[in-house]
Amino acid sequence: MTSTFHTRLLALVLTVIALTIFGIKVFQYNYPLTPGTQTTTWDFEIYLDFDTANQPVRIETFIPSNSDTRRVSQEQYYNGAFGLRLESDDENGRKAIWTYRYPNDRKVLRYRARLEGETQRSPLPAEMHRPADREPPASLNDLERQAFLVWSSDMRRRSADDDSLAELILQEIFVQKDADEIEALLPVLPPPLDRLTLAAEALQSQGIRARVANGVYLDEARRRTEVQHWLEYHVDGRDKRYFIGPDPKEFFTVWYGTEEMIRADGVFDFEPQISIQPIDSSASDVVRKAARDARTPVELFSFDRLPVTTQLVYQVLITIPAGIVLLVFMRQFIGIETLGTFMPILIGIAFRETALLNGLILFTMLVALGLAMRFYLEKLRLLLVPRLAVVLIFIVICMAVIAQVMNGANMRMGLSISLFPMVILTMTIERMSIMWEEYSAEDAIKAGAGSMLVASLSYLVMTNKHIEYLLFNFPELLLILMALCLLMGKYTGLRLSEIFRFRELAKQAEK
Amino acid sequence: MIGTWIALRKAGLLGINERNLRLVNDLNPRRLMRLVNDKTETKRLAIEAGIPTPELYGLIRNPLDMRNLEKLLDKPDGCVIKPANGSQGNGIQVILGPMRGGWRRSNGQRALFEDLKFHVNNILSGMYSLSGQPDVAMIEYRVKFDEVFDPISFGGVPDIRIIVLRGIPFVAMVRLPTAESDGKANLHKGGVGVGLDLVSGRTMHGMQNGKTTEIHPDTANPLSNFNVPHWDAMLLMAAKAYDVTGLGYLGADIVLDKGKGPLLLELNARPGLAIQIANRMGIRPLVNAALEANIDGLDAEGRVELAKKLYRQHVPEKVIA
Repeated sequence: MTSTFHTRLLALVLTVIALTIFGIKVFQYNYPLTPGTQTTTWDFEIYLDFDTANQPVRIETFIPSNSDTRRVSQEQYYNGAFGLRLESDDENGRKAIWTYRYPNDRKVLRYRARLEGETQRSPLPAEMHRPADREPPASLNDLERQAFLVWSSDMRRRSADDDSLAELILQEIFVQKDADEIEALLPVLPPPLDRLTLAAEALQSQGIRARVANGVYLDEARRRTEVQHWLEYHVDGRDKRYFIGPDPKEFFTVWYGTEEMIRADGVFDFEPQISIQPIDSSASDVVRKAARDARTPVELFSFDRLPVTTQLVYQVLITIPAGIVLLVFMRQFIGIETLGTFMPILIGIAFRETALLNGLILFTMLVALGLAMRFYLEKLRLLLVPRLAVVLIFIVICMAVIAQVMNGANMRMGLSISLFPMVILTMTIERMSIMWEEYSAEDAIKAGAGSMLVASLSYLVMTNKHIEYLLFNFPELLLILMALCLLMGKYTGLRLSEIFRFRELAKQAEK
Repeated sequence: MIGTWIALRKAGLLGINERNLRLVNDLNPRRLMRLVNDKTETKRLAIEAGIPTPELYGLIRNPLDMRNLEKLLDKPDGCVIKPANGSQGNGIQVILGPMRGGWRRSNGQRALFEDLKFHVNNILSGMYSLSGQPDVAMIEYRVKFDEVFDPISFGGVPDIRIIVLRGIPFVAMVRLPTAESDGKANLHKGGVGVGLDLVSGRTMHGMQNGKTTEIHPDTANPLSNFNVPHWDAMLLMAAKAYDVTGLGYLGADIVLDKGKGPLLLELNARPGLAIQIANRMGIRPLVNAALEANIDGLDAEGRVELAKKLYRQHVPEKVIA
């Protein structure tokens, strides 16, 4: 029994190491054990990835700025060999300018900061409270200026006060889009900047301070978020913002005006990426404190220093072991039959994209369709690999059709299906159909249902907020999961399913 | 449920986990598994050791060999097509003999040459092999089984499974085909398993689909008190299988041919546990006894003697009665 002893010892050692690190983090650095409810702090990252070709490179990007109304903290710049200059003006915002004369190879630049989200109720910066000088926009020619004056005085006539005037102008520009005079007045800018600029100019001409603001919506963790544009104006002593589409719950203003966010010269294959991620504010405070205490050894076990994009990947990866432990338990202790060893985990990961119920429906539907196809193909007597390929193509076609059908009813479901891994589906279908023939329909359906059960449970475990939080902030707990698997690997007792399988024998023995 | 669990513990039932860990992992080194996974290899070893097996007519290794197929199939007494690396009896086609325009299958249906060719192609592409690896198709002698089990079998070949631990045969059963199992002596497919008294080779109790039974479902004849002919020869073949493969835990599948006597069909490095239901007993006491037994200096005959002694010592009276 030396191998049993060895296994237990190893499991014990792993557990002790994990608990030690865990204990240090919890007791010495006061890491919180549960995710907080407040998520008003956001990790914001601009990630610039590009190729260079030995010619001078200049990259300008707007970055969030601190003001009396907005808070940016913990700014970090990853410059590599590039020179960095910061430039800010009151009108547009703050810019980071990276330059390098003779670069070569692929380069990466990064800007990172912690933001506190703004809401509709956040006040506008002080400069917005100064009255506007009533002048028609300077960019128009004489004819357009004439049309603009006619249109704006018409607006003025139809309104009672500044407040209703502003409402009316916005209504006219954004809701009744077909008005010809508006079309004629629009500046040459990509939408929606054209209408926003016109609205800002129209409001300004009526003495209402207004400008185009640009930034990001802070709604959920995103690896690639889009830059959004909106209008902010000050009317009758109140700060207002106008968003195209529904108002976001939280957002952050990065810069003003109609300039592009990122401008790059002398680069190829340019891939800017803006990512955002909510951080539990109490946890982030602690992490900040720990980071200030120089390099502590526990920091080696934290994902906090990785780029946000990578962090988001690890947030998914790190929960997979929890699903695996569950799978091992289901197989060794319960004795549930599944198709393939780790197939249920893969299906569970696929469910992340579709949510549980949609995923189950889609998966069952696609497997049923695929099985029907597979049985038809049986008649044609094809070789194994081409047959698998036909089933795979059939699955892709089914997915395309389902996406089209779903598009009308439920947009999200239609979109998510495209990410459903079809190779997993194809292998499931092939395994199930062989089982169907070699054993029985009952066995095949039983194994399919077992796989779905384990996949669903592992999905629930892998997406559990607390498990995700614990594993992500305390990766040392993985060692405990490993220890658990080691111990389960030495389990020689009966499985739950075997108690049922051999129950006749038990009756016999009792006689 | 807990009551059932305690009863099963007491009965000495061996579960899959324990089999995998204590028997397969500990006694069957992975490098030796190849010898039994590949049936052509098993056959070669058996012939060297003087263990009789069904005669091999030929192999189809690749599509080029396919042109020999028609000649190999052309036997008046029929033949069997099987994948060399198949498991659990999957992919085995039994041909009774030629018939007009094709061959007669064991279920009486006619198979066209094209059908058989497709089947062989499936075997070659690895459809029945353990991990989907490309495989080899074997064409071999069709066993003409002894009539002894006719009253309790239905269309197909009954076979005898003897499980051997460190060369000591310790538990055995005979597997009988039924209508449900489509003539295959495979318990997964609804075949009947009947426990054997290891000392005498006499049938005792039966099981089908995990449930105990005393009669054959198709012929309705009682399963007990048949004597397996050549029983001692079979025990000796099983014991020798350990010497030629070196596998500490294996199941020997033996068929009884009318003219040639017992023939070794195949060896299995992970024999299943349903044999416990067929024998109405848990095998842990026997397993422990065989693991502790001293086999130094014992040849196959010696180990068969030891096996009978251990069986009498550790198997409760009521099981054999």
